[in-house]
Amino acid sequence: MSDTNVSPISANSANPAGSGTAPSPVLATTNLHKSYRVGNSTLHVLRGVEMELHTGQVTALMGSSGSGKSTLLQLLGLMDSCNQGQILLRGRCIHNLRAGAAAKVRAQELGFVFQQFQLIQELSALENVLLPRRIARGLSWFSNRGQERLRANAVLKEVGLGDRCRHRPHQLSGGEQQRVAIARALVSSPPVLLADEPTGNLDRQTGNDVLDLLLNLARTRGTAMLLATHDKQIAARCDRILHLEDGQLQ
Amino acid sequence: MNLLRLAWAYFSHRLILPVAALSIALGVAVLFTVLAVFQGFLVEFEGNIRNFSGDVVVEVPRLVAQTEAQYKEWLEEVEGVSSAVPRLHWFGLVGRRGSRAVDDPRSSDLSGILMMGVDAEELSIAPAHSEDALPMVMAKPLAERLGIQLGGIVEIVTQRAGGRRPVPVRQSFELVDFFHTGRFDQELDRVFVRRADLASLCRTEPPFTAWKIRGEEGLAAASLATRIRQNFEQKNLAMFDQPRVSTWRDLGGNFLRAAENQKGILGVVFGFIVLVAAYQLIATLLLTVAEKRQDIGILGALGASPLRITGFFVGLSLLISSLGSALGLLLGWFLAHHLHWGERLLGHGQPIFRQEIYKFDHIPVAVDLPSIAVLLCATLCTSVIFSLLPAWRASRLQIVQALRQR
Repeated sequence: MSDTNVSPISANSANPAGSGTAPSPVLATTNLHKSYRVGNSTLHVLRGVEMELHTGQVTALMGSSGSGKSTLLQLLGLMDSCNQGQILLRGRCIHNLRAGAAAKVRAQELGFVFQQFQLIQELSALENVLLPRRIARGLSWFSNRGQERLRANAVLKEVGLGDRCRHRPHQLSGGEQQRVAIARALVSSPPVLLADEPTGNLDRQTGNDVLDLLLNLARTRGTAMLLATHDKQIAARCDRILHLEDGQLQ
Repeated sequence: MNLLRLAWAYFSHRLILPVAALSIALGVAVLFTVLAVFQGFLVEFEGNIRNFSGDVVVEVPRLVAQTEAQYKEWLEEVEGVSSAVPRLHWFGLVGRRGSRAVDDPRSSDLSGILMMGVDAEELSIAPAHSEDALPMVMAKPLAERLGIQLGGIVEIVTQRAGGRRPVPVRQSFELVDFFHTGRFDQELDRVFVRRADLASLCRTEPPFTAWKIRGEEGLAAASLATRIRQNFEQKNLAMFDQPRVSTWRDLGGNFLRAAENQKGILGVVFGFIVLVAAYQLIATLLLTVAEKRQDIGILGALGASPLRITGFFVGLSLLISSLGSALGLLLGWFLAHHLHWGERLLGHGQPIFRQEIYKFDHIPVAVDLPSIAVLLCATLCTSVIFSLLPAWRASRLQIVQALRQR
């Protein structure tokens, strides 16, 4: 399934359904720029990035350290703002949303898997998975809490941690913690999943297991996933590969 | 607050947060105890005065021209008066029979005493066994001071009413019963006798010096007193015949006002303890925000808006102050009801709350619900206000930078 020569904005290769007409992308960027002021000079991290993510397609984002992979993921995840360009989620402009609206998009339509797992140490695995639901629910007391708990339990079972629900992160191995993070990212069934070096903190074997799980879940759930990595073997298992160099997709 | 579980997780895993709650608890407990004690004094004092003197007291000038029946009619016609009972108050000197005190006024055995002549409808006084003595009811502290027991005889020296020259009279009284008010000073300076006996002894006419007035339920004593004054003004009495009308609050005098002032002042002073404890929340929460930057980043990444993060830290502060307040109330209630433990501890076994100083033979305690409600509201509001700065700081954190912290 790897396609190392795919054009960054090519929609043809991003058609997992194989139909004749190109489906509209779930997430797309046009002419995305990001720069930082460092003293008196300006550091251009992203220069006109144009890309698309499609439903059920796993896209690898490769690049050397400092190439701007994480920055691109942060922009796509609305955790940072771009200087120029557009980000479209299901055709809707989301790059210029106010903080509250951006947070709502993150809660409902984006999932994140981080290299460092980013679990809250004081909460159990189940509670960590429930956290996005609790945030998305807002101040309402009237949502179906039991249903949410069942759903979180089911996702934890899916990642193979059905019997570790009550364990807190420090009682889990690195691989298990990342599985919890994957379950947390998927519990809201977001259409887009952004994974930043998800196996970077794991040994080879555990990393492969986690990657298998992540790819499998993304594909079976029809989630558009962008996976940042600098590991060619990992990228080779994705549906598409994008290369980021000097802030531009090659 | 759906992030309450996370707030509770922080609370239960980070020692600094329960310690902050504990400091609030101590402040609330101290303030609760102080308020309960002063409220106890006020309630007990009010109850005592109203029980003894009624809601309103009408003090009649000497040699008033009106009859008892006339007075009773004038008082009972006032709207809001439910009962009007005459009393005869007369001062005298008391000494134990057989002691030389009565014959020798230089002696310290002799005490000034207020004889309260009352009717049976107010206090039923049993007849004396001794033929030459009149019955009398006094409190135990006075009986102990005079060295008599039930059935004992005391001598009272006083003077008759009227006349150009004072005419001293001496009468024996038999102690037939005890009364108890809980107020040490009252129990030492007054006795109850039958009004008819006292009137006959002192030859007062009319046989009353005051009226104990009870108002209808819910009617303020001040407005009842005003109505009674207005009614007397309509009677066109001579200037010297105008009675003095006082409410129970007027009778409480300086002690009551002092207790009320003290309650307010100490409430403010001890309120600062709570304020300082709540102020400590700023430091605690700022520290929490600094230590939990990564968690704040996670919350942001998972979709918590800046407002939500602000709300989370305000909620955390509310959780701390609520638990602290609840614990403080329990602790305060316990302290207020076990003051004797503190007394024993601080006084090394000797009484600190002496009845000669505090007037009551016990430290009264009463929980004033409105004051406690104000205390709780002030504590919670203060904690919310003091949490705003840390909460605002947390909400201003950049998600990306917060997530980088490890």
